[in-house]
Amino acid sequence: MPTIQLRAWMPLQFATGPGDLQVDLTFETGSLTGLYGPSGSGKTTLLRILAGLATPQAGFLSVDGEVWLDTERRIDRPAQQRRVGMVFQDAALFPNMTVLENVRYATENKRDDMVDELLELAGLQGLAGRKPATLSGGQRQRVALIRALARRPGLLLLDEPFSALDRETRQQLLADLVRLHRRFGTTTLLVSHQQEEIFRTADRLVEMEQGRVRFNGTPTSLPGRSDQAVSGTIVGMHTGKEGSEVTIGLDGTTVVIKAETPPAHWREGEKLSVWTEKKREE
Amino acid sequence: MTDFDWQPLLLTLRLATVTTLLLLILGIPIAGWLAHSRFRLKPVVEAVISLPLVLPPSVLGFYFLLAFSPTSFLGGLLQSWFNVRLLFTFEGLVAASLFYSLPFMVHPIQAGLENLPVSLKEASYTLGKSRRQTLFRVLLPNIKPSLLTGIVLSFAHTIGEFGLVLMIGGNLPGQTRVASVAIYDEVELLHYETANAYSLLLLAVSFGILLAVYAINKRWVTF
Repeated sequence: MPTIQLRAWMPLQFATGPGDLQVDLTFETGSLTGLYGPSGSGKTTLLRILAGLATPQAGFLSVDGEVWLDTERRIDRPAQQRRVGMVFQDAALFPNMTVLENVRYATENKRDDMVDELLELAGLQGLAGRKPATLSGGQRQRVALIRALARRPGLLLLDEPFSALDRETRQQLLADLVRLHRRFGTTTLLVSHQQEEIFRTADRLVEMEQGRVRFNGTPTSLPGRSDQAVSGTIVGMHTGKEGSEVTIGLDGTTVVIKAETPPAHWREGEKLSVWTEKKREE
Repeated sequence: MTDFDWQPLLLTLRLATVTTLLLLILGIPIAGWLAHSRFRLKPVVEAVISLPLVLPPSVLGFYFLLAFSPTSFLGGLLQSWFNVRLLFTFEGLVAASLFYSLPFMVHPIQAGLENLPVSLKEASYTLGKSRRQTLFRVLLPNIKPSLLTGIVLSFAHTIGEFGLVLMIGGNLPGQTRVASVAIYDEVELLHYETANAYSLLLLAVSFGILLAVYAINKRWVTF
């Protein structure tokens, strides 16, 4: 299975003082990973390393068999030569260009049918001639997203693209993102503060804290609405006539959830991030 | 007003135009480098570029006089290798003006580039575009007001040159007798009317240019 492998180490400045970023992660091609954690925990730095905008002191990155970074062999492909699409927090649309020109800028030749297709998929044909300054925040992020996709990236990186938007716009954009992610089969990494939202959409979750990966596993949710996440491990699975009962071990307690068709990779020992009302304590 | 002559005014405009065009070509790469470089000796480079802001023009003129003299190393080299003489020539005035007005071109462009969000540059890089393409298609088009400010300030500052011209250019009609020197000359000869004619024209040209710049910049700020 082609994958993205990343190992990186670099010194980093945290709110509490100097420290370092140290990660060893693998992403499956075509997956959508949600990256969350407190601000200043190294999420953005991780994206920048993947994009070629930051170089770790020591590190290795291979994407589908191509080595993009290997500090030992002094390989460090510049951002221009990595097939990445990056969506920035501030959208980073070029103010001097119209929506259409922004998207075209990402393509190699001017007559690229993909531009029209993307504008249509994002419902932006009507705004093609507008300058970014005249767009709403949600429209701007949508343009930034399709501009990144117009580069035909193998790896799509989104750095808190929806954080400044209202809830309704955010959810709409997230739905669009998932749709486009599936349509183009990109490997997608989404950094978000809104845990609740990435819990619903991501195939995989990575939680960062102080430059380390604190959690790396599959998301699921417990019945009931909530906003707090806890990490757990599958300690038992029982498949009966009416579906599966999955027992998840959380800090000193267990929770049983019912799943009609649990994902194929769920098995004992698999890590999960569980979305629950509040941490249950005995 | 018997002595009025268009030549000094035309010479001034020619000097300012040539200097500004050359400065634009020189200033953009220098400003681009200063805006993004983390070179340790960058403050030294910045100080050298800014020197003309604080030095009396006569000091600059004095050292140019020494450097351009055919008996000096630089002057001798230019003379014997390229047959170029910089003392008391138009070419010499252009060379000195380039240095004299450099900060007025570099500073606005550098500030404009520094004020652009870094994400614009990074977005362009991740979209596969080179530094050069990024500079010309993304960065410069978004700092048009800064470019215009640099062009106008360099132009205006060159028009206003006096001490430097006097030191290395002298007062040769058609070569180095620019408007500011002509005014000084006419006053010395007590030709107040002629001096006034030159002065009024310079005043009108300068005001016209600045007025146009502010009007255009106001329109550009709201893209």
